[in-house]
Amino acid sequence: MKNWPWLILTPAIIFVLIGLFAPFLMTHDPTVQDYKAILSPASWSHWLGTDYLGRDMYSRIIGGARTSLVAMVFVLLAALVIGVVIGSFAGYVGGRTELVLISIIDIALALPSLIIALALIGVFSGASWSWMSDYWKMIIALTLAWWANYARMSRAVVVAELQQPYIEAARVMGASHMWIFTKHILPHVLGLVVVYASADAGALVLAIATLSFLGLGVAPPTPEWGQMLVDGMSYIEEFPSLVIIPGLALTAVVVSFNLLGEAFALQKVPKAVRGGLLRRKKATRAAEETARAATEAKV
Amino acid sequence: MTDVKQADPPAIEAQGLKVHFQTAAGLVRAVDGVDLTIPKGAFHGIVGESGCGKTTLARAIIGLQHATEGTVQINGRDRADWQKQDRKGFARAVQFIFQDPLGSMSRRQTVGQTLEEPLLIHSIGNASERKQRLAELLDLVALPATVLDRIPRSLSGGQRQRVSIARALALNPSLLICDEPLSALDVSVRAQIVNLFARLQAQLGLTIVIVAHDLAIVREVCSEVTVMYLGRVAEQGVTKPVFADPAHPYTQALLSAVPSPDPRIEAPRPRILLAGDPPSPRNPPPGCRFSTRCPVVEPQCRVTEPQLRPVAHSGQAACHLAAAESHAVI
Repeated sequence: MKNWPWLILTPAIIFVLIGLFAPFLMTHDPTVQDYKAILSPASWSHWLGTDYLGRDMYSRIIGGARTSLVAMVFVLLAALVIGVVIGSFAGYVGGRTELVLISIIDIALALPSLIIALALIGVFSGASWSWMSDYWKMIIALTLAWWANYARMSRAVVVAELQQPYIEAARVMGASHMWIFTKHILPHVLGLVVVYASADAGALVLAIATLSFLGLGVAPPTPEWGQMLVDGMSYIEEFPSLVIIPGLALTAVVVSFNLLGEAFALQKVPKAVRGGLLRRKKATRAAEETARAATEAKV
Repeated sequence: MTDVKQADPPAIEAQGLKVHFQTAAGLVRAVDGVDLTIPKGAFHGIVGESGCGKTTLARAIIGLQHATEGTVQINGRDRADWQKQDRKGFARAVQFIFQDPLGSMSRRQTVGQTLEEPLLIHSIGNASERKQRLAELLDLVALPATVLDRIPRSLSGGQRQRVSIARALALNPSLLICDEPLSALDVSVRAQIVNLFARLQAQLGLTIVIVAHDLAIVREVCSEVTVMYLGRVAEQGVTKPVFADPAHPYTQALLSAVPSPDPRIEAPRPRILLAGDPPSPRNPPPGCRFSTRCPVVEPQCRVTEPQLRPVAHSGQAACHLAAAESHAVI
């Protein structure tokens, strides 16, 4: 892809790579407490210093990246699948079913997703849910708070595409509803939803950190950025780096995913123009260049 | 036409076909009781001014538009039942060509993918057989093989319509219904596509129904013609005699609106100018629907609605003044 701002991908890629290879990047076990080195400044043994329990900050930041990445991928995938299925179904079927589903989507959209997540975690804290770990409660709560946007978008795309005459043409050719949906409508839905999800990933990392910050997400020993912020808050006067470092990490991830989504939205290239056609266009352009150079040389 | 009894069932037999739309402003009678019989092998033109219901009729025949009333039989089978029981089989027998070729193709697919789609839907052949079939189809519509990798948007209007014709022919249908396939094209390209239709009809033995508002083209290629006015058939018959001796005043007016390219004929030629617009299909006038604009209107025309009846050119016309021997001449 020409003109694609490859550079914009780098921060997001770095985050994903750090998350994937976290165990190899960590210098210490991020959960091990070292009381001999509590709140120590940056040094060769602790690159970013230690926190109030003597845990290595650098390893905790890296471990936090992994926690965020894994939770984000789970929630995003689940929300995407649920949203696309419900939204597409509503848009394709239409009628009363659509009305009911849309009302549910609208209600879910009307409430801030973090509030929904908080309420759901509250519900899950009941005794009958005790078999589930806090981590999975958070994942499920966030998923249920997050799917509505994808459902709304999917439905909008499905409704718009269904009005296109080529859908009628496909019906005339004898195509089944399943064929029309998977071959013609789903690619459009996924095209939009995936772009949106890439920008949404940042917001989700923030939401995960927020829940942990409030003590409702990832349980304490696991390294998590929101958790680190809470831990550092008490020491913000003397050791501001305890808050600044996880804060910067969080900001960097949110900004990088927002940029990524922006780049996707601006650079949506039709499928057919990629690959073969583009290569051929380049080839003809190159041939024209050489031909022009040759004629100029003659003159 | 209808009086010719054939052992073979006609390609299309529509009876009492009505398509009404419920709108906020009232009931729109787009098609309001059309009987139509089109024998196999015919090249049938449906003409009429904008809004007379010809496109709706074509869409109702193939089931893209739900008919409020009436039945359509295709090749002797009830269209609705056939589609319900075997929609793929129906698609292999009957194909439709849309007015806007670009809109009728996915903008995500190349021409090759567009042409291959009907073959894939019907699981016809393996990859190499399908490739061969695509080559045949392109050959049939006189397109170079290089268009296969292009996207429809990058083609010219004529090429796009050729692609949509090729796609319709991919399943080897016996009946092709075309909804104004020519109106999106400019005049020079229109002639090529008309010739293509004529050649395909002769070569493949197709039955073609073409919705058009260009009378010159209908005169050129169609073996028979139906003239519609405000949701009803005004006149139908074999093209040549109908055009030579139109029985319905509306057909006469329509034909007189076609200019002749020869100024020696055109300048002194008498022309019938109809006053006003056609009445709204929401509220058709009582009696003959054409009575509000008819230059030779008589009192009975405003009271009783004329039925289709045989006229001099051996076709039929829905006019009180048109008799088998003589008819109203404006």
